[in-house]
Amino acid sequence: MAALCTVRHRWKRLKCLQVFTRNLTGSYDYDLVVIGGGSGGLACSKEAAQLGQKVAVLDYVEPSAKGTKWGLGGTCVNVGCIPKKLMHQAALLGTAVKDAKKYGWQMPETLRHDWATMAEAVQNHVRSLNWGHRVQLQDKKVKYLNLKGSLLDEHTVRGLSKAGKETVLTAKNIVIATGGRPKYPTEIPGAVEHGITSDDIFWLEKSPGKTLVVGASYVALECAGFLTGIGLDATLMVRSVALRGFDRQMAGLVTDYMEAYGTRFVWRSVPKRVDRLPSGTLQVTWSDTETGREHRDTYDSVLWAVGRAPETKTLGLDKLAVQLNQETGKIVVGPDESTSVPNVYAFGDIGEGRPELTPTAIKAGKLLAHRLAGQSTVLMNYDNVATTVFTPLEYGCVGLSEEEAERRCGKDGIEVFHAFYKPLEFTVAERDASQCYVKVICERGGDQKILGLHLTGPNAGEVIQGFSLSLQCGATYPHLLQTVGIHPTCAEEVVKIHITKRSGLDPTVTGC
Amino acid sequence: MAHRFLARRIWTLSVTDVRCLPSSAVASSSRASFLAPSRTLAVSHAVRRAVSFNVQDNEDFTERVINSDLPVLVDFHAQWCGPCKILGPRLEKAVAKQKGRVAMAKVDIDDHTDLAIEYGVSAVPTVIAMRGGDIVDRFVGIKDDDQLDSFVCKVIGQ
Repeated sequence: MAALCTVRHRWKRLKCLQVFTRNLTGSYDYDLVVIGGGSGGLACSKEAAQLGQKVAVLDYVEPSAKGTKWGLGGTCVNVGCIPKKLMHQAALLGTAVKDAKKYGWQMPETLRHDWATMAEAVQNHVRSLNWGHRVQLQDKKVKYLNLKGSLLDEHTVRGLSKAGKETVLTAKNIVIATGGRPKYPTEIPGAVEHGITSDDIFWLEKSPGKTLVVGASYVALECAGFLTGIGLDATLMVRSVALRGFDRQMAGLVTDYMEAYGTRFVWRSVPKRVDRLPSGTLQVTWSDTETGREHRDTYDSVLWAVGRAPETKTLGLDKLAVQLNQETGKIVVGPDESTSVPNVYAFGDIGEGRPELTPTAIKAGKLLAHRLAGQSTVLMNYDNVATTVFTPLEYGCVGLSEEEAERRCGKDGIEVFHAFYKPLEFTVAERDASQCYVKVICERGGDQKILGLHLTGPNAGEVIQGFSLSLQCGATYPHLLQTVGIHPTCAEEVVKIHITKRSGLDPTVTGC
Repeated sequence: MAHRFLARRIWTLSVTDVRCLPSSAVASSSRASFLAPSRTLAVSHAVRRAVSFNVQDNEDFTERVINSDLPVLVDFHAQWCGPCKILGPRLEKAVAKQKGRVAMAKVDIDDHTDLAIEYGVSAVPTVIAMRGGDIVDRFVGIKDDDQLDSFVCKVIGQ
């Protein structure tokens, strides 16, 4: 099996021994060592093994500041996509139950949600996924090591166990896919001691109670959203704009819906300090950046969702002079996921400028494995990647935002078709559909190619996925006109779209 | 270690339809706790060998399963596995019927992942029958009381 060296003596002596061994046999312990067992790392390592490479993957979870830790699978499986979507579903079901009354169901007057029941079910599912990944690695013959990996040189990885035991591996190629972790605003007194992050929220055994979510990313909005949905008092504190990087108009519709739905918003404010009161509740003092006035309120929990950053310091990258982006700490990568050091690659959340999404990490990882095995030269295409924000009113999009399209083609170079619509299901339920909206951004002349597609509404992710294929195929506005809708659905509003922003006409559409 | 690889080649595999595949989670309405009874058994009958026990670590497995004089049924289960909660009590009943001629070791695969992987467990519940340190039989999924009785009898060698 693998010639793993357990280091007992000084590493300098070992390096000579390693070099000697390498020269003698001309080979490394592994063809590929992947550091990071998340969406990207697992996909890359399994693909490489299937192509006949000898692969090892190192996965290690440094506990959060609150002590939360989890198993194999990375952020998505343990503290991201999976638990998030399940809790979002729990919240949606609460709304559905309220709607049910209007549809004739005899429901009790008040409905209570039990956090512990939901949390246990979600956590159990995550544990089954941890196990599933472990079995897959075994089946695909990837060596799994529960060690914290760092680079000693461009062919040597050092793995540290929880007990502090060191293991050294040599590899022809090294791939870094360690992702990121939530940032704590360490400059705010009490932030670390009293606050939690998305690393902790999904693993809480007891309800977080009245929660202040600080941040305006999709993490912040999604968390505040499902907390509100399950009946908790949730407040969202935003420093400037919500969903930075996304289409501005769509972001506004998302937050408008959340406000109407029951999430409290504190705009243009920054927390100044967090103190724990004798009663155990947390007192947060914040400052309104417009008025300069200070405010105070108490919460049971404070959730920081103020950005994510990679743990590049502990990877040993400075020793190898792997180029990092000074501001973000992420690794600077080429279109082929290469770093400034030959045969060291990086992809997924840790790559500078890369989308922080599971499907892109998986695909990029598989393509990288093919290139490293010498089987192809195909690069990852990061364009037109569809995504969805799972807020109470979901927002799905693919392609460019209106701002980006204007920037590239000029305001006169694009035609924006739009419509407000009402999902049929909302009618009997007497639900407000003011923010249900679809927008298609096209090139103004020529083929009228579709540049971007945006939709807020129920199951936005399910709707947008199909349309993302059309963008991949170079869909144009005439194509859209030729497509017949499925009735009655929300998705048909996309293919029925005809009112332009330029015309100034009222984009509110009525049913058939 | 070598004899385990040899034993692996001679085990028979019988698979039933109802089982927990790694990627699915089955919610169960109630959680039967086996910890209390087994622990009590192990503590109060310290002199007599415990018939049903939870494996604590690798050393415990070696001592109480591999080096056991009795044949041992190893029940690989998980907290998130619904069918495991059905099979567990049935297995205990089948083992109890044998009045000390067979023992049962319970392995939580989340706590002892490496051990489960080593024994080739992929879906749960998986039950492996061991005698003298060798694997003599195994099955995956749920079995009814009669099927379990005949499985256990075969393992004891009646």
